[in-house]
This record gives sequence, structure tokens and C-alpha cells, in this order.
Amino acid sequence: MQGTPGGGTRPGPSPVDRRTLLVFSFILAAALGQMNFTGDQVLRVLAKDEKQLSLLGDLEGLKPQKVDFWRGPARPSLPVDMRVPFSELKDIKAYLESHGLAYSIMIKDIQVLLDEERQAMAKSRRLERSTNSFSYSSYHTLEEIYSWIDNFVMEHSDIVSKIQIGNSFENQSILVLKFSTGGSRHPAIWIDTGIHSREWITHATGIWTANKIVSDYGKDRVLTDILNAMDIFIELVTNPDGFAFTHSMNRLWRKNKSIRPGIFCIGVDLNRNWKSGFGGNGSNSNPCSETYHGPSPQSEPEVAAIVNFITAHGNFKALISIHSYSQMLMYPYGRSLDPVSNQRELYDLAKDAVEALYKVHGIEYIFGSISTTLYVASGITVDWAYDSGIKYAFSFELRDTGQYGFLLPATQIIPTAQETWMALRTIMEHTLNHPY
Amino acid sequence: MQPRRQRLPAPWSGPRGPRPTAPLLALLLLLAPVAAPAGSGDPDDPGQPQDAGVPRRLLQQAARAALHFFNFRSGSPSALRVLAEVQEGRAWINPKEGCKVHVVFSTERYNPEEGEGRLGKCSARVFFKNQKPRPTINVTCTRLIEKKKRQQEDYLLYKQMKQLKNPLEIVSIPDNHGHIDPSLRLIWDLAFLGSSYVMWEMTTQVSHYYLAQLTSVRQWKTNDDTIDFDYTVLLHELSTQEIIPCRIHLVWYPGKPLKVKYHCQELQTPEEASGTEEGSAVVPTELSNF
Repeated sequence: MQGTPGGGTRPGPSPVDRRTLLVFSFILAAALGQMNFTGDQVLRVLAKDEKQLSLLGDLEGLKPQKVDFWRGPARPSLPVDMRVPFSELKDIKAYLESHGLAYSIMIKDIQVLLDEERQAMAKSRRLERSTNSFSYSSYHTLEEIYSWIDNFVMEHSDIVSKIQIGNSFENQSILVLKFSTGGSRHPAIWIDTGIHSREWITHATGIWTANKIVSDYGKDRVLTDILNAMDIFIELVTNPDGFAFTHSMNRLWRKNKSIRPGIFCIGVDLNRNWKSGFGGNGSNSNPCSETYHGPSPQSEPEVAAIVNFITAHGNFKALISIHSYSQMLMYPYGRSLDPVSNQRELYDLAKDAVEALYKVHGIEYIFGSISTTLYVASGITVDWAYDSGIKYAFSFELRDTGQYGFLLPATQIIPTAQETWMALRTIMEHTLNHPY
Repeated sequence: MQPRRQRLPAPWSGPRGPRPTAPLLALLLLLAPVAAPAGSGDPDDPGQPQDAGVPRRLLQQAARAALHFFNFRSGSPSALRVLAEVQEGRAWINPKEGCKVHVVFSTERYNPEEGEGRLGKCSARVFFKNQKPRPTINVTCTRLIEKKKRQQEDYLLYKQMKQLKNPLEIVSIPDNHGHIDPSLRLIWDLAFLGSSYVMWEMTTQVSHYYLAQLTSVRQWKTNDDTIDFDYTVLLHELSTQEIIPCRIHLVWYPGKPLKVKYHCQELQTPEEASGTEEGSAVVPTELSNF
């Protein structure tokens, strides 16, 4: 993997398009006044000195108005942009040329541009209005996701079923999707998203992934082999109360919503509440902290539900917990710098998974153990999973690396999900081929 | 002073600490140049812990701190940069004094234009004083955009800001779905510029900040030509995962040094309501000549 590939590797913020801004106002004007700009051009003029600048200024003062400045004369060396109506083009260009004013044609025909913009806007409105189709490239509320789950299960009842594994603190159902081609107690793979409610990209990725699994079964040989031998469980909204709160009140809420008598602050960090190095470094005993571990291991119903389910099942072979952001793929331990016994294997697998991810859109992930790659953290999901005998325990931190952070634009949902899928597939395939 | 490369005993942060090689400064050279491939080091010695991952993270964080400082010092919302990739670096850790990092990294424009994929290159020396904020930073970067172009864009931004209608009806930027309206982009860029100062000042060896969201904006009329803004931002600190609200007051004019005053809230403990962190700055009189 060499340096950053050029162009679209770092999906950054959309570029400032001041021309679009101005064009939009034109669309509005056109819509309201039904004006027609056919043949009108926008010229960019560069004045060499104050004298030339004042010549341009003279144009502005003409009555009736012959030009309309989008970027008015300010200083020499700053470009001046002016819209020239079709009927005035010849005169204006002659004026510029006779005074030695250099110009270029920025927009050859404004009406063409307006028509294109109008079409694009109408098109996107049509897509949004299309009912009955769940948009995988938008973020959704808890109700929308739960409703999608019911539809999804109904449409794919041959492989998917819904299991309620418990209730949240605020008594919301905790749901898991089971993907299975039959058999009794196949070895299983666990995937959870949304354990930290503000990490919206994770739920969105989970939903896309669920759909990907049913779409690719029977088509992708690797996935088909996996599902024929193993079951996959996906918990999409691991922290339903927190998630609802990110929609209603606080977009950056992380913890669950548990309340305890006499304690001023709300919520426990569900990824510090597991029974593995509980209470150690990288977790906090202050209930007001974002990494508050809770009063005791598994004290939180959201965590207890998973522990009980996985323990009762008894045959999980891989566990993948998905977070954002930082672009990392990690394995245990988080609680200490000590390596796990199959560290070499996990290192190699992470390397392969990250390469498969990179091939999709050129996004670079770093990888390694949690404590050495991200930070020391105790009482976390993957440490517990590993200590419980699940050899292939991984934690993802999805896009990005801080430009948008938790507020990742919805336009990045599908690309993120696509690349993450390739990493998941790599891990699942390895798990399939290395039974234990 | 002879720094010597040495393979670390396990665990690297053990009780004995580094062996001093010179009376003045105990040096421990952790790692020679870190190669470009993403990874966390070679696990060829399964018996040893993965220490190679620590410098990598440290190098990234040092690069980011250097960029906060660089962006602030440039005083130009059109010339903001973000980290593209760490290319090489070294770290020296002295448990008594702190941590010195030398890092070389590539950057790209925060607001790349159509088809622009250019990368700038920076070299930085970052000194984290033990657990103290405001790391000392020495950073130079290759030019990413022409000075004239940058001035033009700054001036354009300035003019657009002057034309904004107040009071600004801003709820949050980006919105909860990560979207920034193109017409609000200029506000975000200027806020990011001011926040860079705050984030640099607050950075320590363990605390690293990101700008999560802008939650309110207010522009003040001025008697001179300056741009005067009050805004509140939410910063995200990585190691504690805390969200820190800060109020920032910023005064800007294209080409002139940026003036920033700020006031951040501290973590709530069960007993007290909130503490505060305050700071202010005028850019030192050194010239920025990018």
C-alpha cells in the first residue's frame, strides 16, 4: 500500500461552488419572473490597473443597464465577472477589446446551465418522494429501522428471522436478525452496530450489509459457502435508547440512558460494561464521563442481553463490533498491551481484510490491537468475546478520520458499507476455513 | 549525545523506564522511519508486545497538532489543510520532560476543488511537555495553493461574509446528517480556522481534539472593516470521548493575523456544575509568507 492515491480517496467536504450559488438565485428569478437567459454569457475580465477598473465601473453605471455584475470591480488583479445579455454581447465585447481589457468566457450560455441545474434538482426531488422504498443512502430513525426490519424479515423469510434478545433500560425491544440456511446450532458469526448511539454510520452500514447478505446468497460463492455452513447474527441497534436520544435531543449522545437513584448524570458506556478487565484503565468510574463503566459488569440490560444470548447459544466463532470513527480494524486486547495468543493470525487476517477494503474505494485503514492502535480501554466487547473463547474478535472504526467524524454525510453511507463488506467477508471466510 | 536505536524490552512502558544516554536529556529512540503501508508493525516476535503501534498513533496525533497550529497561523480560511498521510517520523520520550516528535506528512486541502488532488508536504517538530497543553510546534509545509489565489479566495469569502444578513438563522453546521449547505460553507471554514487555535492550545500528549459541530453563530457589526464572529462549537476529544462545548470569539481580516478568544467547558463531575478553560491569542508578529 503506497501513499495516498490522488483524487477521491479522502472523501472530503463538497467543494465550494459559488457559481452554483449564483445560478440558483437565477433559477429562482427565472422561475418567478419566467425570464429567459438564452445566449447570455458570463465574461470574466481582468483589469490591469485602476484605470481599467474604472472603465469597467463605467459599464455598471450605464442606463439602461447593459451588464450585470456577479463579481463587481473591486481591485485590479481580482477578476470581475459580469453577465452580458445576448443582445449586448457584441457591443460589450467591442468595448472591452477597444480598451485593451482582457476577458474570457466563463459561461457560454446561461440558459443551458440553468436547464441542466433545474433537471438535476427535479430528479433528486423525485427520488426523495418515492415512497415504499427504503433509502439505503439516508440515515433513519429508530421507528424506520424497526419497521424496515419487519418488512425485511417478511420479504426474506427463507433465510432471515427476527429474534428479541431483551429490552433496553427504557423498555425498547432489542432485536437481532438471524441469517440461516437451516441446521441446528450452526457455528455462528456475530455482528453488532450502534453500541454507541452517535455513530450513525454503523447502523446504516449494518442495514446495507443485511440487505447485501440476502442479495448475494446464491450469487457470491464465498458468502454462499459461509451461509451454508454457518449462521450470521446482526444486531443493528445495540443501544436503542441512546439512538432515539440522538434523534430527539442530542445528536452526539454516546451512552445508554440508564438512570440510577442519587446519581446526577445519565447513562453508561456500553463498551466499558463487559466482564473483561472491568473498571481498569481506559474506563471511568465517574457517572458523568463518556466512558463510565457502570456500577458492575453487565449491569446494563443492553449488554446483559447479548451476553446471555451468546452464552446460551454456545457456538459463536467470530464476533465483530462496529464503531466509528477513525478508520481502523482492531483485535484484542483493549485492556492491556499484552498480545493475545493468536496475535499473528489476527494481524495477518486484519491485514488481508484492510487490503480488501482498500481495493473498493482506496480508503486506508490502520490495524492492530486496540490498545496499541487506538487506546487502552477496559471492559470492552471484543475483550470479553475473546476471553469467552471466541478466537476471531474484531472491532471496526469506520469512516472518516475527523473531517466530519460522527456527522458523516449520508452520501458516504453506501461507499462505506461497500468497502466494509469486503473486510467483513474476508473475516467471515477465514472463520469458515478455520473451524475450531 | 548519541541516540541509539534499540529494540524495546517488553513492556515498553515498564517500571524501569529508559536508560539514560546523556546527563541532560534521557533519550529513547523508539522507532526509525515509519514506512507508508498502513499497519501496526511487525509481529515476527510473537513473544513481544506490539509496541510499533504506539509511535504510529503518536505520529498521527503530532501531525494533527502541527496542522491545527499551521492552519491557525496561516490565518486563511481558504488555505486550510487536513492530514493525508504520515510518511515518516520519530519519537523521543523522556518521562520527566515529555515527548518530542519529528514527523513528515502529506496534507490536502480541506476544500479541494473539482479534480484537484494535489498533496502538500509538511515537516514538523512537536514537543509535548509532560501532560501540559499548548505543544511547542515548528512546522513548515510546501505551498499548496498560489499566494495570489489564496488571497483572492480569502477576499471573496470576506466580501460574502460582509453581505450576510444578520441575525443568522443557524441551527447547526453540519446538520445532524452531516450536510453543510454550500451557502454556509464560508461560516464553517472560518469557524474551523478559529477552532484550530483552540484545538492546538488544548492538545496534550494524551488529549487530541476534533471539531464535531458548530452549534451557533453570531456576527457582530464592526466599526472597522474586520469580520467579528461569536460562535459555539462542540469539540470531540478522542481518548476520553468527551464532547466539549466552547465559545469562540474571532476577529478576522484577510491577510491580517487572526484574533481568537475562547472559553471551553470542562467535564461535569457529580459535585460541581462546570469548570472552564479559557484562552486568547493574537498571532505572534512573525510573518506568514506562504
